[in-house]
Amino acid sequence: MNPYVEAGYAVILGTLGSYSVSLVARERAARRRVGAPGKAAGAADAAAGPDEPPSGASP
Amino acid sequence: MSRAQFSPPADRAGFALRLLGATALVGVAATVWLGLFVTPPDRFMGNLVRLLYVHPPMAWVAFLAYGVAGLASLLYLWPRTTAPHFDRLAGASAEVGVVFTGLTLVSGSIWGRPTWGAWWVWDPLLTTTALLFVLYLGYLALRRVPGDFHVRARRSAIAALIAFVDVPIVYFSVDWWRSLHQAPTITAGRTYVHGSMAWTLLLGFVSFTLVYIWLMAHRYRLAKLNEFEDAEGLEVALAERRAEAVTG
Repeated sequence: MNPYVEAGYAVILGTLGSYSVSLVARERAARRRVGAPGKAAGAADAAAGPDEPPSGASP
Repeated sequence: MSRAQFSPPADRAGFALRLLGATALVGVAATVWLGLFVTPPDRFMGNLVRLLYVHPPMAWVAFLAYGVAGLASLLYLWPRTTAPHFDRLAGASAEVGVVFTGLTLVSGSIWGRPTWGAWWVWDPLLTTTALLFVLYLGYLALRRVPGDFHVRARRSAIAALIAFVDVPIVYFSVDWWRSLHQAPTITAGRTYVHGSMAWTLLLGFVSFTLVYIWLMAHRYRLAKLNEFEDAEGLEVALAERRAEAVTG
C-alpha cells in the first residue's frame, strides 16, 4: 500500500476517533457534575422546564 | 431563573444516538475496507485514488455542517423562531465543521504531495478552504467571549452568516478561477467514477454524514449541560450575595 494513503486514512480515522472519545467523555463528566439523570431516570425528567438559559450563561 | 425552570437535560435520546453511532461506525469500517482492499487502483493515480474515497466526504460534511450552522443562525436571528436551541445547534455544527475542514485540508495536502509535488499550493480552492477554516475558528472563539446569553448568541449568529459567504466561493472556485484542483467527481447528472469505486465513494459520503450527525448531537448535548452548569454557578453566587446582605 502507498504510505501517503496509509497516512491519510490514519489522520482521518485517528482525529475523528479522538474527537468522538473526548466528546463522549466530556459529556459524561458534565452529566456527573450536574447530577443529570441517565437513561434509567430519564423519564422522571421528561417534564423539564423551558429550554431557556439565564442571562450571563456562557456557551 | 430557578433550577426547577432550567432542569438538567436528561439522556433521553441515548438509545437512538447509540444506534446511530454503531451504524456510522459500521459504515466507516466498510468504507475503509472497500477503499483500501477491494476497489482497484486507478489507471492514472494508482493507489492514491484510495484517498479520494475519504477526502471528498470530508469536504461535503464540512459544507453540510456550515449549512446547518448558517440555517440555525438565521432561525435564531428571525424574531418568530428565535430560541436557545438554534444557537446551540449552530455552535455544535460549526465545531464539527471545523474538524472536518481541518481533515479536508490535511487529507488534500497528503494527496497533493505525490500528485502535485508539493504539500501546499496557493490554489484558489485550497486558499478559500483555508480561509473557511480560519473564519469558523474565529466564530468559535467569538462564541467563547463572555456576556449575556442572547447578546452573545446574536453576535455569533451574525458572524456565522458572514462566514458562510465563503462556502459557495470554495465550491465554485474551481469553475471561477484557473485551479490545479480537479473539478468535482460527481456533479448533477454526471459522474466520473463507476462500479465499485462509485459505490465506495457513495458509502463514504453516507457514512461520514452519519458520523457528523452523531458528533453534532453529542456536542449539542454537551453545550446544554455546560449552560446548565453555568446557570447553577450563577444561582449559587446570587444566593451567597443574598445571604451576605442579610447577615451583613
